[in-house]
Amino acid sequence: MNVGVNGGASFVIPFLAVFMAVIGIFATGHEYRHGTIQPTLTALPQRSRLILAKILTVTALTAVATLASMAINASVMLAFWGEVPGLFDDPVRSALLGYLVYNVIYAQVGLGLGLLFRGVPSALVVIFLMPLIIETLIVGLTMVPALEWLAPIVKFLPFTAGSELMLTSAADFGPAAPGFDFFGRWASGGVFAVCAALVIVTAWTLFKKRDA
Amino acid sequence: MICAKGLHKRYKKTVAVDDLSFEVRPGVVTGFLGPNGSGKSTTMRLMLGLDHGEGETRFDGEEFASIRRPMNRVGTLLEAKPFHPTRSARNHLKMLASANGIDDARVDKVMELVGLGPVKRKKPKGYSLGMAQRLGLAQALLGDPDTLLLDEPTNGLDPHGIHWMRDLLKRLASEGRTIFVSSHLLSEMQLMADELVVIGRGTMIFNGDVDQFVREFTRSTVIVRSPAAGTFISALEAEGATVAKGDDGELVVSEMEIGAVGHLAFTEGVELAELSSRSASLEEAFMSATGAAEQFVAEKPIQTAHASRGAQNA
Repeated sequence: MNVGVNGGASFVIPFLAVFMAVIGIFATGHEYRHGTIQPTLTALPQRSRLILAKILTVTALTAVATLASMAINASVMLAFWGEVPGLFDDPVRSALLGYLVYNVIYAQVGLGLGLLFRGVPSALVVIFLMPLIIETLIVGLTMVPALEWLAPIVKFLPFTAGSELMLTSAADFGPAAPGFDFFGRWASGGVFAVCAALVIVTAWTLFKKRDA
Repeated sequence: MICAKGLHKRYKKTVAVDDLSFEVRPGVVTGFLGPNGSGKSTTMRLMLGLDHGEGETRFDGEEFASIRRPMNRVGTLLEAKPFHPTRSARNHLKMLASANGIDDARVDKVMELVGLGPVKRKKPKGYSLGMAQRLGLAQALLGDPDTLLLDEPTNGLDPHGIHWMRDLLKRLASEGRTIFVSSHLLSEMQLMADELVVIGRGTMIFNGDVDQFVREFTRSTVIVRSPAAGTFISALEAEGATVAKGDDGELVVSEMEIGAVGHLAFTEGVELAELSSRSASLEEAFMSATGAAEQFVAEKPIQTAHASRGAQNA
C-alpha cells in the first residue's frame, strides 16, 4: 500500500527524492556552472537573503511535487481497486508523511552540496556516492563477524537513518545483519536532518565569506 | 556620487588592489584606466561586495550590499557575461527584474533601447560578443539607475556600436548620472571621459581630469625642419632647449615654447621649412604613466638566428 502511493520509495533511494536533490543541486550549483552568481548577486546582494529564498523555493517545490505524486498514485490505485485502504491510518499515514519529510531533507542536502562545492558534478557524485556506495558498504561490512563493532554507527549514517522515515515495518537488511537498533521513525529523520543542516550551515558560512 | 575609501585586496602573497581611494562625481563620465591585470575588475568587484577585501565603497552614502533593490540605484556591467544556457535573453532580464520590483514592460523597453528588440526571445549563447555586451548594458540600465558601473563596455563592439555606446554614456552623464567606466582603449576614453582614475599594479597613479593627466605625464615638443639644422641646434641649445634628431632629420625640441623657437630662428636668420608643435596624446601619457607598472610585459622581438645568418651572408 505504502509502496503504491509513494511510488516504490522502499528501494534504496526513492526516485522523486533523487530528482528533487538534483533540482536542489541545480538551484545553487548552476549559479557557478554558468557563472550567473555574479548577476544574481548584483541584483540581490544580501547573500543570506538569497540562500534563504533558495531554501524556501526548493522546499516548497519538493513538497508540492511529492504531494502531487502521492495524489496521482492514490487516484490510479483508486481507479484500479476502487478503494485505497488504510491511507489515513498509521503506519501508512506516518510513512507517507515521512516520505514527504525525507524528500525535503534530501533536496536540501543537494542544495547545500551544490553551494559547498560551487558546482554540479562533485555535488552529484557525493549525493549518490554517500547512500549508494559508502553507507551500503558500511552496512554490508557489519555482517562480517570481525567488523561487527561497526553496527552501532549504522543508526547514525544519515541516508540510512533517513530511510527509516518511510518505513511501515522494520527494515530488513537480510539474515546475516546484526541488530542496528535504529532510533525510531522521527528521531532517525532527525539524524538525517542534522546532517542536512550541517552541510547547509557549512556551505552558507563559506558562501558569506568567499569571493563570489 | 561614488565614494571609495581604502580599497585593498590580497590573493595569498599578491596584492591585487593596494589602498585605492577615489571619488566619482555625478554629471560626468569618469574613466577607469589601467593596463591588463592592473586590478580594474577586482576593484569593481570589491566596490560591489562580490569580492571581500578591505575598505568600503558608498553609493550616495550607502554600501552596495545594504541597498534593498540595488538595480534601481546602481547598474552594473562586469567583464564576464554569464547567461544560463536554457534561458532566453528576455527571461534572463525578467528574473533579475523580479528581484528588484521592475515590471516586464521595462524589460522590453531596455531591450529595444540597446537594439536587441528583434532577438529578445533568443538564447544569449547564440549572441555575438557585441550582442552579449549590449545585453549586459540592458541589464545595467534595467532599473534606470543613477549610477552606472561598467567594466570594459565597448569590448567586442564594432565601430558603430562603440560610437553608439559613447553617445549613450555621455547623454546619461549629462542627465546628472554618475558613470564609472573601465577601459584600456585610450582613444575611447579621450573621446568619452571627462575625469580619470588611472591605476597600475593595483596602486593609484592619477586621479583628476583628462587634460591634466596628459599635461602631467607628457611634455609637448616642437618640431623644426630647416636646411640649416646643424647650426640651429647649437643656437637652440645655447638658449637652454633640449634637441633631439628625429627619424627624418627633423629636430625635436623640448623645454622651449614654439613662439620662442620661432623668434630664435628669426633673430639667428635661420630658414625654416617647418615649425609645428606636437602635443602628446592620452595614449603617450598613459604609456609614460604606467610604463613601470605593467603586469605582463611582452618580450621585445628578437632577431632570429636564421635572419642574422642571412644578414651575414649578404
